[in-house]
Amino acid sequence: MTPPQTLLEVKNLKKYYPIRGGIFGRRVGEVKAVDDISFFVKRGETLGIVGESGCGKSTTGRTILRLEEPTGGEVKFEGTSLTRLKSEEMRRMRRELQMVFQDPFASLNPRKTAGEIIEEPLRVHGIGTARERKEEVQELLQVVGLDSYHTARYPHQFSGGQRQRIGIARALAVKPKLIVADEPVSALDVSIQSQVLNLLEDLQEKFDLTYLFIAHDLSVVRHISDRVGVMYLGRMVELADRDELFDNPLHPYTQALMSAVPIPDPEVKRERIILSGDVPSPSQPPKGCAFHTRCPRAIKICGQIRPEFRDYGGGHFAACHLLEDGS
Amino acid sequence: MAEALLEITGFKMHFQTDKGVVKAVDGVDLTVSEGEIVGLVGESGCGKSVTSLSVMGLVPQPPGKVAGGSIRFAGKDLTRLKGREWQKIRGNDVAMIFQEPMTSLNPVFTIGNQMVEAIRQHQKVNKKKALSRARETLREVGIFREGILDEYPHQLSGGMRQRVMIAMAMVCRPKLLIADEPTTALDVTIQAQILDLMRRLNRETGTAILMITHDLGVVAEMCQRVVVMYAGQVVEQGDVQTLFKNPCHPYTKGLLKSIPQLDKRIDRLYSIPGHVPNPRKLPTGCRFAPRCEFASDICREQEPQLLELGDGHVSRCWLEDKDGTRRGADRDATTNTA
Repeated sequence: MTPPQTLLEVKNLKKYYPIRGGIFGRRVGEVKAVDDISFFVKRGETLGIVGESGCGKSTTGRTILRLEEPTGGEVKFEGTSLTRLKSEEMRRMRRELQMVFQDPFASLNPRKTAGEIIEEPLRVHGIGTARERKEEVQELLQVVGLDSYHTARYPHQFSGGQRQRIGIARALAVKPKLIVADEPVSALDVSIQSQVLNLLEDLQEKFDLTYLFIAHDLSVVRHISDRVGVMYLGRMVELADRDELFDNPLHPYTQALMSAVPIPDPEVKRERIILSGDVPSPSQPPKGCAFHTRCPRAIKICGQIRPEFRDYGGGHFAACHLLEDGS
Repeated sequence: MAEALLEITGFKMHFQTDKGVVKAVDGVDLTVSEGEIVGLVGESGCGKSVTSLSVMGLVPQPPGKVAGGSIRFAGKDLTRLKGREWQKIRGNDVAMIFQEPMTSLNPVFTIGNQMVEAIRQHQKVNKKKALSRARETLREVGIFREGILDEYPHQLSGGMRQRVMIAMAMVCRPKLLIADEPTTALDVTIQAQILDLMRRLNRETGTAILMITHDLGVVAEMCQRVVVMYAGQVVEQGDVQTLFKNPCHPYTKGLLKSIPQLDKRIDRLYSIPGHVPNPRKLPTGCRFAPRCEFASDICREQEPQLLELGDGHVSRCWLEDKDGTRRGADRDATTNTA
């Protein structure tokens, strides 16, 4: 079933956070941050995941790397089940899977220099001698477009874009195969954003990297991804090749999301689908399809049965009842 | 053209710090006419927020200091107003909404409480009247439901909080609404709701909007005119069609080329090299020259002036002034006679 070029496979992944209450701190409910999602990432591609805040896209990324322990389901990396590894084995496994974080201010230790930050993963994984590591750091700085005199500087002495470059260099240090990038450009200004996006693309080509690119900005995701998945309230609602998804969105949520993005061209006039209301709370997700409370086309069955996430041809997956009877 | 409501000319706001003077705003010229929506764009640190806070008189002085120019609102120079005089303008004629609706609402008072306070600050009405006015405005922004006046800000979602802020700002029917990144903290589907609401209010009440944002998509969709700022100065200004189709300043061009677009595929994004200059160590000459691919000697030596290119299209660039005949004082003379 698994295609040979698959690098990462996620099957029925779940992450529930308990809500505790009462005097004994009993479990009184749970937040279904990630609620049964499945997808795969091919070697060398960029899979983008988009969705609004609280849809579970970041939790998905963190659960894959087991920065959060999954509640259920399986994550396979090159055939190895990550979810079954012991924590020490997982730690060693992280040489292959690295992460780039959103906030370049919070994700770098303010008391360490750029050189120490980039060297740390090498040290942790016991790679090379001290001297080799120093040389490696110099090389990495160059690769991400920083200068060698930056080695001794502290994070606060860098701009946001430069800090994100340090974060990228740190992720690259152990020569991983997969990088999970969680909103890597959303804290940056447009002119810096394009620099970092170009850098990520160059590095992918140079080091044969595979990206799981998590973001809320559809234009950025369309730009960088080969395939794109759309999440809503802990579930994957649609996943397809980039152009297929953007030219022919099947799910009503994807359609609404795309029509809501303002286009930087005053001549483009589009019909906009304005959704009413807010995203429901993930602690009490609606029955049936999670989107039916806001869906402009919902029918009776949508509020009763959760639609299946299935392939509607050519790897275009979607979960929607409206598609099922062939309409 | 409608009458100018807000007219900022040559405005400068400098900050005195221990490490020297920071020229946060250093040459802003912009006008907002009645009923118009004007976009003010630029990257972080370009001075767009300080400009808007100056219009509201919210920049503490010191450390801030008006180093030149004027801000005229309906003919009155706001830079000369003192303490109590501000209260007649602020909230009544000019209102403001901010990026983060959670921090701009007081968490320990109910929505009703805060709205009544805002209303009674500006209008001589009793509490009951104010409450019914609050209800009415919440209905206008589309979030009225029984009991909402007794709820606290944390009980509302981000989009609803922003609507409460808009309701509070609109309660006195201001002539001008300053919106500082009103949708940046919100999700796209909620952003679409808020933008739709602001457009409707603009149409129905005739309130002019000065929209401060870094999102060029929002500008293209909302605004009639656009003002682009870089390193404390206005670098280009024009109507939205001209600015997006025919930008003049290399910074505006670069900015437009560096955004990925949803409806077009570009293989490689353009990126403006380098980064925004430190406001304490601004380069001599044109502030964009170190990052500009067209920069020549004059750009690095002399500061360009804002130059009228026709139809309200203005640009601060030596490229538009190659023969050097239209620079400096000459330019002032031509605009004055025009």
